[in-house]
Amino acid sequence: MSEAAALPPGEHLVHGTDPHLAHHFSSLERQVDASRLGMWLFLSTEVLLFAGLFTGYAVYRYSFPVAFAASARTSEIWAGTLNTIVLITSSLTVALAIHFVRAGRQRAAVACLAITLFFALAFLGIKAIEYTAHFHEHQLPGRYYRFEGVRLPGAEMYWALYFLMTGLHGLHVVIGMTVLAVIAWRTAHGYYSAHYYVGIELAGLYWHLVDLIWIFLYPLLYLI
Amino acid sequence: MTENGEHHSALPYFIVWVALVILTVTTYRTGRMHLGTWALPLALTIAVTKSLLVILFFMHLWEQKGANRIVIGTSFVFVALIISLTVADVATRFPLATPAGAPFGSDIPAQLEEPAPEYQPPAGKIGEPPRGVPEPK
Repeated sequence: MSEAAALPPGEHLVHGTDPHLAHHFSSLERQVDASRLGMWLFLSTEVLLFAGLFTGYAVYRYSFPVAFAASARTSEIWAGTLNTIVLITSSLTVALAIHFVRAGRQRAAVACLAITLFFALAFLGIKAIEYTAHFHEHQLPGRYYRFEGVRLPGAEMYWALYFLMTGLHGLHVVIGMTVLAVIAWRTAHGYYSAHYYVGIELAGLYWHLVDLIWIFLYPLLYLI
Repeated sequence: MTENGEHHSALPYFIVWVALVILTVTTYRTGRMHLGTWALPLALTIAVTKSLLVILFFMHLWEQKGANRIVIGTSFVFVALIISLTVADVATRFPLATPAGAPFGSDIPAQLEEPAPEYQPPAGKIGEPPRGVPEPK
């Protein structure tokens, strides 16, 4: 057992006994640590993906400060604010799901994930109402911009960035919902437990990132 | 992350949630006040505070291994670099002499369809030197 001797104290060689342990990891602790590191690396690339759009926003906001401020005032502020509360609350329910599965309460965890999915649907519904209103008012990017309320150079750039940023964020909401649904289904079927729950944890990390991006989108697109 | 089976209270999550809601209401109220130059720094400060709450407590970075902190911290450094350097580049250029309505570089806050204001001749009678100009000796 030379391999076991190389392990740090507190870790145990559980090959053959744990169905969750992949054969190329010496212990479940190391496997879970590697999964978490991989997820944080992926989240970092996601942050950098959105950073490109935030940079574009910063440049065009600097170039057209008056048009951006005027356009933000004509956005659906109630919808943005309500969606912020919805996403923050869905982040709480995801955190509670992990809390419950850690305590061995899988059914409570599944319920929390289901509530999260409900909040995600509510977010998309509010977003759909918002998009419809903008389409009717012709608050659209580029040459499709026909909104009479704000006739300033640069207003069409605000709406181009608005739809790019909220659109990419909305795509992340849909992906996050898919991941959470799969994870909830697996939890309900006993795949995750207090012993092994890294899948719920990583799906939760992704959902918190979706919340994180929105925390910055909300003031930049709706308030200032 | 702490070991399996250790029982935590769910209370900290609710405290963080209440803090996030309070900060959201604060940024909404201050955002409607039109604070001028302070609006952007204030909104960004509140957003950074909210994101730190989410990252440290909801995402458990507070109790994560060092490698995970370095990874996400590095990405934030690069976000700060790309935004600050790009804006600094745009901000330190000469203003471009583009006409109103041009797609980029024009910061003229006038309405697009508005005609240019008519020329107003300076007040005073014809033949008199304009006010403010000293009489020739």
